[in-house]
Amino acid sequence: MDYRVQLAKRMLSNKKGSLIGAVLAVSIGILVIHVNFVIFQGLYDAIVRDLSSYRFGDVLITDEESFITKSDTFLVGWFERIPYVEAATPRMQTSASINVTKSGKLIEEFRVPVIGVDPMRDPRVSTAYQTISDGQFVFSRNSIVIGSMVVDDLGGVRVGDSLKIKITDKRGEDQVRRFLVSGIVTSPGGQGLDSNLIMHIDALRDMLDRDGETGEILVKLNDPKKASDVKNYFLRTFPNDDFKAETIEESAEAALSGFRSGIAMINMIGYFGLMSSAFAVVTIQMMLVSSKTREVGVMRAIGAKRKDILIIFIVQGMMIGAMGAGIGTAMGLGYTFYAKETKMTFAGSIPLEVSYDWAKITQTAIMAFSLAVIASIYPSYKATKLQPVEAMRYV
Amino acid sequence: MSDIVLELKGINKVFGQGDTRVQALDNVSFSVKRGEFLLIVGSSGSGKSTLLNMIGLLDRPSSGQVMIDGKNTTKLSDSKISEFRNSKLGFIFQFSNLMADLTILENVLLPRNIQRSDQNAYREATDLLKAVGLESQMNKRANKVSGGQAQRAAIARGLVNHPTIVLADEPTGNLDSVTAETIVQLMKSMAKKLNQTFIIVTHDRLQFGEVDRVITIKDGRAFEGEDMPPKMELTV
Repeated sequence: MDYRVQLAKRMLSNKKGSLIGAVLAVSIGILVIHVNFVIFQGLYDAIVRDLSSYRFGDVLITDEESFITKSDTFLVGWFERIPYVEAATPRMQTSASINVTKSGKLIEEFRVPVIGVDPMRDPRVSTAYQTISDGQFVFSRNSIVIGSMVVDDLGGVRVGDSLKIKITDKRGEDQVRRFLVSGIVTSPGGQGLDSNLIMHIDALRDMLDRDGETGEILVKLNDPKKASDVKNYFLRTFPNDDFKAETIEESAEAALSGFRSGIAMINMIGYFGLMSSAFAVVTIQMMLVSSKTREVGVMRAIGAKRKDILIIFIVQGMMIGAMGAGIGTAMGLGYTFYAKETKMTFAGSIPLEVSYDWAKITQTAIMAFSLAVIASIYPSYKATKLQPVEAMRYV
Repeated sequence: MSDIVLELKGINKVFGQGDTRVQALDNVSFSVKRGEFLLIVGSSGSGKSTLLNMIGLLDRPSSGQVMIDGKNTTKLSDSKISEFRNSKLGFIFQFSNLMADLTILENVLLPRNIQRSDQNAYREATDLLKAVGLESQMNKRANKVSGGQAQRAAIARGLVNHPTIVLADEPTGNLDSVTAETIVQLMKSMAKKLNQTFIIVTHDRLQFGEVDRVITIKDGRAFEGEDMPPKMELTV
């Protein structure tokens, strides 16, 4: 082993307090970034997951102007022939009026968003059916599922009750129909359909007088990374139909853009944390250099060059960086593992989408290591500036 | 090979400026032959340690030349001076100044490691440690041995690179009289055995008994011998 590496190792191991302090500073910096990532990226991914699963699919097809007039059976069949596509389903959206009455007297009338679903196809694309907390999903043209927030607004509707829904059709005429409440949906995180009514898509078409039309096609992929490919393939195949195709990032942009900048800010705080750990390394390295002034003088006297002294202290920085990066990454992975295994939730509601982003983990470890090495440059440089005759007077 | 290993020509060293100006060395010139055991004596503050720093290339003179093995060292770069110190000079300090983080053996090997000279280094270092009576202590940490043992190790470290000159700055200054006597005898015997030049700075002339030569420093000026009549002042 090179004597400089050996000396750097011995000097560090004989200053355990400083070593532990510096390594902890680096590793805690990394841990903060991992915790931030697990919580905030996990939350972001969970929102994307829920938006994709409940509302948009991996690719969302709509009409540029109004409703899709091409047959939904044809379009779903077309998509399902693509190997990347797992399933597709049609949906329809509008809003309805519901009356809140007490003892037969009208208390309030409010509007609720309504989603029309194909009960056979929808569960293959969306997990909305899994959010049923009471009763069952839409099963017939006269059944309706109510979001838990709507239930609260209506003052406690229960499964089995009937509900009168008023929808304005395409000619502007009100259509009123009674539905049987078949289920209530409750989903954590606020991205689900808790504020919606869910009914059979054909019932909604009838009420809107839009027979054969479709509001949107949700497409679920085997590999969500292929969303852009599928989208572009679709648009190339139907260039003259005024279709609009969006990936989940595009369709959920409004919901995600603010959140993304929030994550960027929090990540920035994490990286500032890492930078402050670099300052801790500078301070501790300065203390190490200061405590070794006499030794540096002796080494210079017996022939060590400035670059040898520089290498000794830079190697110490590398050792601190490597140990800090290793321990910090291990602690971060431990936390990620814990969050994944315990299905950690954010503020007790939305389950985080925890993933191991190896590129980011590696990048953080490399950055921490590099910062520790960079942080040791100045103390090392100071050490090389010690004149042997001055250093040896130092006791 | 020339018999002169060290030649000082008109060395002056000035510290400070104006009112704080101190002439630490004043036109010091003398030469030293190979194998000489030379004492530089003088009272505290006389300039003897400053002179040793000049000879050891640890500090540069304000003017004059330091010739070691016929080479003028005054204009050498910092890097070349380091190489020169490593290959031509051995140091023994008052407080031994071993590296506390290394073992005795590793300390002795250090000048050779700096030189990247692996050939026979281990064997020569252990031989030297045997010669100074530290064979059984060589794997102990430097901070776990006594002052006398540390100074023996420092002597071995000073010799391991086969230097032209070994410089010792008050090598017995921190030792009790019995240990100091042992160290003096050790240095003398090593000098004789290896035909090694020793230049020793001390304020305790009596400790060293009979030596080849003595130079006395007073007020920054060098005089041959232990008396300092003006006619004996050395000149080039």
